[in-house]
Amino acid sequence: MVSELPWDSKTGTLKRELAQGMMDPASRRALEAALQIKENQPAHICAITMGPLMAQEVLHQAKALGADEGVLLTDRKMAGADTFLTSFILARFIQTDCKDVDLVLCGSQTSDSETAQIGPQLAEELKIPAIGYANHINVLKKSVEVQRQVDDFFEILNMDLPGLITIDLCAYNPRYLSLAGVEKAFENQGIRIVNAEQLGFDETFCALKDSPTRIIDVYSPTTQKENHVLKGAVKKVVDQLFDEYGKVISSAMGKDLKTHEHDEA
Amino acid sequence: MDFNPCMKHQLIRKTVREFAESEIKPHVSLLDKESRFPWDIIEKMKPLNFFGLQVPEIYGGAGLDTISYAIVIEELSRVSAAIGLCVTVHNSVGIFPILKFGTKEQIQRFVPVMAQGESIGAFCLTEANAGSDAGSVETNAVETKNGFLLNGTKIFVTNGGVCGTILVFAVSEDISKKSCASVFIVEKDRPGFFVGEIEDLCGMRANPVSSLFFEDCQVPRENLLGKIGQGLKIGLTALDTGRIGIAAQALGIAQAAFESSVSYAKERQQFNKPLSKFQTIQNYLARMATQIDASRLLLYRAAALKDSGKPFSAEASMAKLYCSDTAKEVTDLAVQIHGGYGYSKEYDVERYFRDAKVTQIYEGTSEVQKMVIARSILSQPS
Repeated sequence: MVSELPWDSKTGTLKRELAQGMMDPASRRALEAALQIKENQPAHICAITMGPLMAQEVLHQAKALGADEGVLLTDRKMAGADTFLTSFILARFIQTDCKDVDLVLCGSQTSDSETAQIGPQLAEELKIPAIGYANHINVLKKSVEVQRQVDDFFEILNMDLPGLITIDLCAYNPRYLSLAGVEKAFENQGIRIVNAEQLGFDETFCALKDSPTRIIDVYSPTTQKENHVLKGAVKKVVDQLFDEYGKVISSAMGKDLKTHEHDEA
Repeated sequence: MDFNPCMKHQLIRKTVREFAESEIKPHVSLLDKESRFPWDIIEKMKPLNFFGLQVPEIYGGAGLDTISYAIVIEELSRVSAAIGLCVTVHNSVGIFPILKFGTKEQIQRFVPVMAQGESIGAFCLTEANAGSDAGSVETNAVETKNGFLLNGTKIFVTNGGVCGTILVFAVSEDISKKSCASVFIVEKDRPGFFVGEIEDLCGMRANPVSSLFFEDCQVPRENLLGKIGQGLKIGLTALDTGRIGIAAQALGIAQAAFESSVSYAKERQQFNKPLSKFQTIQNYLARMATQIDASRLLLYRAAALKDSGKPFSAEASMAKLYCSDTAKEVTDLAVQIHGGYGYSKEYDVERYFRDAKVTQIYEGTSEVQKMVIARSILSQPS
């Protein structure tokens, strides 16, 4: 849960060095979608993330699963970026280094802030169409057929390529890493590290200051539950239970309860 | 000197933990209760390379280093010591001797199938009258026109009930008709090979430990591993590697018992405060944590020595001795911290307690480990 992560209340950002490094569950599903596409046709998968140096582990994990390369965008100047700046930085890399990209796949949302904004904002920056919360992708010649669930029905959309798709948290059940995959991920060429300067940002660039949105606080809503112990003879306790909680119980069960039925009988 | 695990070793740990927690943990208690070998879980483990941990990629394995190997066994055993046992025995004393002493033809014939998990490995040395005393083995191999005829009974064979490829330690005769030990590779479908009843053991109950019978079991000459008379050398080399695996297994059991104890001590209230607020319990936890940490350092040092190609026999014995003692003591304290619940099958710690004991016995008893360590100390020039 977001509020269980170590937040810095002064900057409103996550203390990433304290958070256990892991691939976002939704990103892992997006990678799974990419891997399944690659199983059916030639493809080159480039896994990209932005974060501190320790985020390399996530990219090694992506390579172990089958990504062809891993790229880490990292720089102190890029720390503290909000979703607007993050999308901007990711787009800059894709525009300069992945010019021939056909399909950008993202997790629908991250587990550290759950905004679900990066995918759509990235598509805006790249000026390509986007579909959110997909649960199946069928790649055609120059377009993709995408299925997604909306409320209680499914819809199938067709989108021209290049385009961007975010993958729903319930779709594309991710595979486990093989141990040979992990070994290989560290054997071959390492993770490519890209800094702010290489992305063309000048010395004045500061993601924390330049970000238009700021998180003021993150907390869990507190509940005010208390235990109420009913004491006394069984009959008295049962009556009291139905008197005091009959309505709550019947609404939870979804049907009316006849209280004091035993008295009437 | 850097005591921090590298990123690869961290990822290996996470990878195995994720699999073990999701696919093994929900079934562990029932597997133990029913003494059932989990073929369904084994099927899921096969494509993830658990059965070819250190086998080179060309033979279908993962090609891991020994520290990674230890981490894999530790993490599997943290969830199921019986599955950890199956995997470590298969990899260390099952496959490793073939890779180390086998001809190219033998490696190509046996290793890829084993690395895929299609044939589970077993190593049998122990007999009714020979355990720590390998010189008293009575199973014999008589040379015939076509190869060798094996006769004898092996007991307490880990993976015995499910093995497909068995390394058999037997007495044979060298050219001068002198009695000597040799190792033979036997496939399970050879006539004259029989699996005995599954042993009813205190712990590791999901592993089908059994007796194996060889009654006029004919094996071709191509199934002799190494040379006639190399048995003891092969056996000792296999056991050195096996000890790293058993040490890792013991460490995994201790880690599981420790984690259960910490969370129980924080939850369980007595005298209106959690157990963790009592100094006695804090002392127990501190002792457990220290022993586990020391065990881990000894284990990884032995593994690192093996990877660097240096002698590691004494260090592997130290790791095995200390890790298994740690497992026994930590699981004992874990039961104590859990009180009556710890003695109940409702909690996992009683299983950890039962599983831990045997780590002081198999792959060389603690007493044998001390012999190996003492021999190493005394053989060094003063």
